Amino acid sequence: MSGKLMVFGLSYRTAPLPVRERLAVGAERVPSDLLELVQEAGLHEGVLLSTCNRVELVATSDDPDKSTQAALAYFNARVAPEQVDGCVYRYVGQEAARHLFRVASGLDSMVLGEPQILGQVKEAFAVAQRTGTVGTLLGRSFERGFSVAKRVRSETAVAAGNVSVSSIACDLAEKIFGELTDRRVLIVGAGKMSEVAARSLTARGARLFVVNRSPERAQALAQACGGQARPLEALATELAEADVVISSTAKQDYIITYELMQGVCKMRRHRPIFLIDIAVPRDIDPRVDSLRNVFLYDMDDLQKVSRENMAARERAVVDAEQMIEAELTELDRWLRAVELTPTIVALRERVRSVLRAELDKTLPKLGVADKERRALEAMCEAMANKLLHQPLTALKQNQTGHDGVELVEAVQRLFLLQVDPSARPSGQPSAVHDSTLAAAASSPADGAGPKA
Amino acid sequence: MPLLANLLFVTTALGYVAAGALFFAHLRSGGAKLSGWAARTLAASIASHVVFLVADALSGRAPLATVHQTLDFLSLLIAVGFLASMRRHRLPVLGAFITPVTLLLFLAAALRGPVARVPEGVRSLLLPFHIVVNVLGLAAFALAFAVAVAYVIQEQLLRKRQVGGVFQRLPALDVLDSLGFRLVTIGFPLFTLGVVTGSIWAARLGNGLSFSTGQGFAVLAWLFFASVLLSRAAGGWSGRRAAIGTMLGFLCAMAAIGGYVLRGVGG
Repeated sequence: MSGKLMVFGLSYRTAPLPVRERLAVGAERVPSDLLELVQEAGLHEGVLLSTCNRVELVATSDDPDKSTQAALAYFNARVAPEQVDGCVYRYVGQEAARHLFRVASGLDSMVLGEPQILGQVKEAFAVAQRTGTVGTLLGRSFERGFSVAKRVRSETAVAAGNVSVSSIACDLAEKIFGELTDRRVLIVGAGKMSEVAARSLTARGARLFVVNRSPERAQALAQACGGQARPLEALATELAEADVVISSTAKQDYIITYELMQGVCKMRRHRPIFLIDIAVPRDIDPRVDSLRNVFLYDMDDLQKVSRENMAARERAVVDAEQMIEAELTELDRWLRAVELTPTIVALRERVRSVLRAELDKTLPKLGVADKERRALEAMCEAMANKLLHQPLTALKQNQTGHDGVELVEAVQRLFLLQVDPSARPSGQPSAVHDSTLAAAASSPADGAGPKA
Repeated sequence: MPLLANLLFVTTALGYVAAGALFFAHLRSGGAKLSGWAARTLAASIASHVVFLVADALSGRAPLATVHQTLDFLSLLIAVGFLASMRRHRLPVLGAFITPVTLLLFLAAALRGPVARVPEGVRSLLLPFHIVVNVLGLAAFALAFAVAVAYVIQEQLLRKRQVGGVFQRLPALDVLDSLGFRLVTIGFPLFTLGVVTGSIWAARLGNGLSFSTGQGFAVLAWLFFASVLLSRAAGGWSGRRAAIGTMLGFLCAMAAIGGYVLRGVGG
């Protein structure tokens, strides 16, 4: 009997959006679905992670193949089988732990290093804990996953630098003005693009003003983002007051010309101004960038920054992978330690009980005195210890070796051991559903890639 | 210089070099560990510097009596001022610009030429006052100079769209601008007093209105700093022009002192 860590699911890498959205499990349904899955797939433990980019079941099972079939049936019940086929992947043992660590660290995300995924994994784990489907092995695996994800975020550049155009614009504004509290942000043209940037700027305390050709749309955007609408005629005076300007009109020629900006600069006595032109074709004459204390970034500039930041993140993936490998080794060491102790206890108990039974059968027939009886008992005890000495030493010595797990499994099978998980070293809570941890880190050959 | 003083001098200079290199490495590649080690190295150099000055004073020289000792003291003050403000403003990256200034002044102080004695007849309380206000003013200007260098670099990076590593580690333009302004505001009245007392001094020495080159540079420096303050008052945030004005002002002040150091006279 052994519980193996496994991951079964699909993500944006393998499944198109129509499949993902039909499989996505709403937050309120996760606990009931999880309980159902655990029961039907014969799982010891289970965590159900459902985001817009992935639906994954992280579980422990004695028979990953059987559990996979049951989980596949659960997926098929929501989406037609021919759609799910070819989209799912399955990882077992160390491969599964590696996948979990990579997901939590943002290495498997659509936008490399994005921060939301760690929160989503933590939430999925918390829900499973409340549902009661988390035991020792999943608990330990997720805990190590959170820890390595935190280190990857803080010690490597995988999550460094913004990659979305609107956060890059906000970041640059902060690098010019310091705190954005009470800075004036002027939106020119009430498009969808400017709304995203406007929201992140107001979230940092900036005050918002909207200028648009149609006053109704200006009013609507201003209300949606907690700002004020201004008529288009007031553009020059608004420019004179603003600190950050985001322009995204559909106009064919420049709305902020070099001459207009020259006048504005005089009006604002050359206080710095940050102009962000996200319109195509451009709204702002690129020559204004040469004016004193005027900083102009257009879509190309912002995308160049985004590409550079992304390239820096990609360069840091190697460091992150190393951290994950180190963490996997640690997890593996822990697994071997917790699975060895109950096996040793069970093996001792098995040998002693056999000797005890034989003694009890034979001694009454001999009719020996108490003194001889005690001597025979002591002899049996000594024989048991002598017999067990070599195998136990070998088990302990090979604990960290590459065949340590196989050895423990072999002993369990040869002696038909029913391993009692409570006989692990103190400080380890016992698993729900009597999950035994033996051989949870299986041989890497078990870890299948995307499975057809 | 006796052996001990020589040893302390070399230790201090090497300490400043190491601290500067560490601060520069921190600016280039980031990392809290590097800035921590840089700050510790700088603190150790300051300690060694203090011992060096004490040993110098014990050897019989009156403190601040020569322009060299004044420079020595000035460089110490800049390092201490930076270390103290670094904790408050969390701007360890500026160490990359401030430590070299400290080092240069410290080394300049060692250029000991023939020391002219101040004539007995013109000694007065005016002299130590003149020296003290100048040293304090110049220390503030030196810090402002380093901040201005950071501002110019930061603005250049923003214009060239190189907004990665170094740009991310340097403070925001607004922070640098207002910090530089504050430092110039502190230094200006002190330096003004220094220039005024210096002029009175020159008049007493009997030079009349004939300016030496050093005095010329001092007045030029004063004009630069005055224009920085004026443009700030007129325009709110002055940016690159103020930064360049601050840099030129400090360089002129250094040129004024440089003349004295090389000739070994003045105060």
